[in-house]
Amino acid sequence: MTSFMPLTTVFPGLVWAMAALALVQVARRAALWRVGAAAPVAWLHGLAQLPRRYLVDVHHVVARDAYASRMHAVVAGGLLAASLLTALAILPPLAGSRAYWLLVTVAFAVTAAGSVLVGARRYPVKQKRLSAGRFQILPVLLLAYAVGGTLTALMLALGAGGIALPFTLGLAAAGGLGLAFEVRQGPMRHAVAGALHLAAHPRPGRFEGRPDTALRPLDLGAPRLGAEMPADFTWNRLLSYDSCVSCGRCEIACPAFAAGQPLNPKRLIQDLVAGLNPAEPAYAGNPYPGGREGQGERGPLARLIGPDARIHPDTLWSCTTCRACVEECPMMIEHVDAVVSLRRYQALERAALPEKAIGPVTELRQAGDPGGRPLAARTDFAAGLDLPLIAGRGEAEILLWLGEGAYDLRYGRTLRALVRLLRRAGVDVAVLGAEERDTGDLARRLGDEATFQALARANVATLARYRFSRIVTADPHALHALRNEYPAFGGHYTVVHHTALLLELIRAGKLVPQTLPDLSVTYHDPCYLARYNGETEAPRAVLDAIGLARVEMARSGKRAMCCGGGGGAPVSDVPGERRIPDLRMAQAAETGAGIVAVACPSCTAMLEGVTDRKAEIRDVAELLLQAVEAGR
Amino acid sequence: MIANADALLKPLTIKGLTIRNRVMSTSHAPGYGRDGKPQERYQLYHAEKAKGGIGLTMFGGSSSVAPDSPAAPWNQISVADDSVIPYFRQFADRVHAHGGKLMIQLTHMGRRTKWDTEHWLPTISPSPRREPASRTVPKEMEEEDIARVVKSFAEAARRCREGGLDGCEVSAAHGHLIDQFWSPSVNQRTDKYGGSLENRMRFGIEVLEAMRAAAGDDYIIGIRMSGDEMIADGLSQEDCLTIATEYARRGLVDFLNVLGGQARDHIAHAISLPNMSFPVAPFLFLPSAIKREVDIPVFHAQRVTDLATAARAVAEGHVDMVAMTRAHIADPHLVKKLSEGRADDIRQCVGAGYCIDRIYVGGDALCIQNAATGREATMPHEIRKADLRRRVVVIGAGPGGLEAARVCAERGHAVVLFEKSGQAGGQIGLAAKAGWREAMSGIPRWLVAQATKLGVDLRLNTEATEAAVLAEKPDVVIVATGGTPFRGHAKGAEQHAVTTAEVLAGAVEPTGSVLLYDEMGQHNAASVAELLAKRGCLVEIATHDRMVAEEVGTTNQPIHLRELYKLGVVMTPNMELIEIYPEGNRFVAALRNTMTDAEEERVVDRIVVDHGTLPVDRLYRALKADSVNHGQTDQDAMLRGEPQPFDLSTGYALYRIGDAVAGRNIHAAIYDALRLCKDL
Repeated sequence: MTSFMPLTTVFPGLVWAMAALALVQVARRAALWRVGAAAPVAWLHGLAQLPRRYLVDVHHVVARDAYASRMHAVVAGGLLAASLLTALAILPPLAGSRAYWLLVTVAFAVTAAGSVLVGARRYPVKQKRLSAGRFQILPVLLLAYAVGGTLTALMLALGAGGIALPFTLGLAAAGGLGLAFEVRQGPMRHAVAGALHLAAHPRPGRFEGRPDTALRPLDLGAPRLGAEMPADFTWNRLLSYDSCVSCGRCEIACPAFAAGQPLNPKRLIQDLVAGLNPAEPAYAGNPYPGGREGQGERGPLARLIGPDARIHPDTLWSCTTCRACVEECPMMIEHVDAVVSLRRYQALERAALPEKAIGPVTELRQAGDPGGRPLAARTDFAAGLDLPLIAGRGEAEILLWLGEGAYDLRYGRTLRALVRLLRRAGVDVAVLGAEERDTGDLARRLGDEATFQALARANVATLARYRFSRIVTADPHALHALRNEYPAFGGHYTVVHHTALLLELIRAGKLVPQTLPDLSVTYHDPCYLARYNGETEAPRAVLDAIGLARVEMARSGKRAMCCGGGGGAPVSDVPGERRIPDLRMAQAAETGAGIVAVACPSCTAMLEGVTDRKAEIRDVAELLLQAVEAGR
Repeated sequence: MIANADALLKPLTIKGLTIRNRVMSTSHAPGYGRDGKPQERYQLYHAEKAKGGIGLTMFGGSSSVAPDSPAAPWNQISVADDSVIPYFRQFADRVHAHGGKLMIQLTHMGRRTKWDTEHWLPTISPSPRREPASRTVPKEMEEEDIARVVKSFAEAARRCREGGLDGCEVSAAHGHLIDQFWSPSVNQRTDKYGGSLENRMRFGIEVLEAMRAAAGDDYIIGIRMSGDEMIADGLSQEDCLTIATEYARRGLVDFLNVLGGQARDHIAHAISLPNMSFPVAPFLFLPSAIKREVDIPVFHAQRVTDLATAARAVAEGHVDMVAMTRAHIADPHLVKKLSEGRADDIRQCVGAGYCIDRIYVGGDALCIQNAATGREATMPHEIRKADLRRRVVVIGAGPGGLEAARVCAERGHAVVLFEKSGQAGGQIGLAAKAGWREAMSGIPRWLVAQATKLGVDLRLNTEATEAAVLAEKPDVVIVATGGTPFRGHAKGAEQHAVTTAEVLAGAVEPTGSVLLYDEMGQHNAASVAELLAKRGCLVEIATHDRMVAEEVGTTNQPIHLRELYKLGVVMTPNMELIEIYPEGNRFVAALRNTMTDAEEERVVDRIVVDHGTLPVDRLYRALKADSVNHGQTDQDAMLRGEPQPFDLSTGYALYRIGDAVAGRNIHAAIYDALRLCKDL
């Protein structure tokens, strides 16, 4: 057996060959990313941060599925360790050490155990959210490599050998080269693309403890606005889509998918991936609800959106921009950015907004309000309340941003409660009144960046005329725009959600609520407060200060399910099999709570619109007012 | 949320005064004035509406500006001297505290009042023509009278402003002095105040100009006027349009409060205050027509009982504000309930006219279905929770029993409500079967909905027995078993008479000729007479009273009479039924003229009687002995608004309410229930 080359050299050589093959495969794939637009990437910083991003941020997401977390640690750790150790055995002192081979044996054995865990998710029956196709071969390849490696290393450790060795080595080679081959367009691509994506992530801020959720401003003077085809994305976005491991966590989290609307975030990302390469293997996961099969051209220059293209427009407009998919993605993919880029092209280059959204967006552009209502009517809800205009005084401690909800009769009740509370606490508060234009949130989420920017600039100019220390709003969508997106247009404000201010006032003793222990409540987190801004505690603390019996829904906090009211989804109104708010209220009903506490005008409208609802919908401010007034 | 609710909840700004929504209550005379002043009861009644979210509440219907228009007849308000100002201030503060706005109506009633009530001054009018409604013959006004009254109006306007009221209106509707000048049916003068419409408008112009001068141009002054007097020699719609546009053009008024008709006699009065026989908003077209011609806000009241109609009236641009005066008497919190998304909780006015009918016979305005209205000092519109949860059994789901169940449930008690029949509502269910009285069914409909929502265990088709009641281990038992119709004392009545209730229930279906004998003077007999006549019977209605339906109030009796005349029903007052006997398959009724004692006979196919009801009290008597209070309500405690002083640790307390005590009416049953249960 030692006739032409010792096994202790062949075995490491296999790993080196695997590495070489993987490198070739990656290079072939990377050539495709190069069709994407340039993007500034802080490579050195990114690479330096890579271990931390992987071990902390990625692990944080992966660990939510304990099985998957264990599985991945074992199989990926084993694979990396075994392969590295074997590769190092090219050094003669190590190659000659039986103890070293024993260590390699252990590493391969761990990999083998991990491979079994991988296989157990797919055989005999595949978990529903996972994709089939090439992913079904993955455990086989892993097992072949791991078992072959284990046996080979063991024999080298024992000094045994003989007739079996070629077979064990062959097994390892078959598995190992297979895995390496799969790096281009198979499951193993996620490892390489994922690592590169972590280093070159387009939103590095999210690894640095701040919610990096603001949409990037679009240069409206650019020759091409938004993304029509894969080549319109920046190269690192294309890279990020390639890191998708088709785990399906996004589709489980997606409210539109749950409602049977034609959106599946995994499929959407996979359609972007498939767009890059006409020869990409067929998608093997759950389809877009409604059963539409992929069709249309593929290729970096192929149109992505259209009734006859890979992605139907209804898919694009079903997204509520709730970021649940982003929150769940272990590969840190930014699905919502992709959706908005695609929407921007549809809105700005093709004027192809969904039919029902055209009216509201046009009104927004022309009248500064999606309902085309007079701006002065925004304060109608407050008639009879003492709510001064800032114009009459020039300054105020708190500027109350009313938002679109002020026009809504139901939400007027919330705002009246809030104003009463602020008055009672002696807060110096004023409003812009007719000078307040919509923040443009709706236009921005629907891709009409031009309308958004015009509104943002107008509002920033208005706000510049007055002095105030903070903006308070009860609308998380307005809060997100003002706090996170207006800075790009020169507006830098301290923006506080009303629940946070109310908590402050309670803690300062300016509001003294009685307890309402008879009421049972479950709090529904608004996406734009929890996921976009990371604020989940203040509303709960206010509810706890009232002494309510508070219970949590199965999905809460940053992992809460959307009400269906964001991202222009209500105006796009893409039909589904169910309604998102119905699903959410059913989840609320499982808690048995008599009240669903809300903190957002969209959530209020969506959840209160549910027929046969058993629970009352009450804003946190309304409950607090009740508690405060109970003490009179 | 109802359609167009946003139109209704939009503020309205008049001369810098922002009214928070488009719902108001017009000035009316609830009879709550004391010594010519709006004192606590009056103020609390309006403050409750402000608390309930109303935009503008106007009080003091026909508040008088001069002694020869006395405030006494309807316990109204006199603005004829400065002593009223402190009351205005207190009143305004009470309403403003809840975010509402407050205005008053000022008037001189001219001939439309009594000379023999307060100051014994003759009534005055442009011409000495008697008004049928007030039955006075006025003195023809001299120019000095005109100047004096103009000055009185001006002084009164100043007092309103000084009293902190947000504005005032002058009444030029229902045949008051200003519209007596306008209307050719009254004004037959030949001087500069009579003749052409221009001349007839002069007095009103002088009044308003003087008020403006006294109260300031920035003070809100409006006018209440008819959009069409709807009488042959009165103001036509065109005349009213001319007056409205001319007064608005001259800047004399800041709003027009438009209604239809006038009120010079019984039927005109009933039409101008439409009851449940009218469609909703029957005269909305009149303010709508005026609104098209003027650029000041237009208000309107007349049977707008539901918010959907109100919202439509504003959203479609017919009016700027909708007055829901009687609707607020039924539920002063209706705007709040609308804006809180609880429109289903609104106790909707059914148009029974009980409130207004009482004031025309010198009573105070009370709501047939809401016993708290006008009693805000003692009766709650919002029931407070009790400290202790009791087990309460109520027997009988008529209005009294339903109200008792509702109030007890609001108190937090566990309530079981037994009802023998398959339908809640008691005798109201019968009343609602009679022609235009169908809307009465709204009373139990709301009560049932509230009771159900509050978790009352309503057991229909379940007769309460002593055992069934005790099986509930009650702390409190409330017997509201109502009454059973009584056939009267006439000889042979027990065997041969049928009751109005039996006719309405369908137990008997009379045909041919019918003698309907009425001892009650209420709606019952009149409406059954209408029903039978419509079914083709030849009907004579005889009554002990001086007139048919004598106990029915002034907005309802004329409608009954109109229908009875139209249907050819023979009306025979001053008769007593003394005997009934059969003759063949017909009956003979012997009637005695109460004035002459002369006896007459009628041979008819059916004799129907209405003698009211006698209590159904079998169960009460069965439960009485074992109860801790022997079935007695401690009246002193109840009248003081204190809990009943019985120890429930040893057994149950037993109470009896409504017709189960003595046959009275719906309000009595509901008030019995509310005032007992609010403290249980």
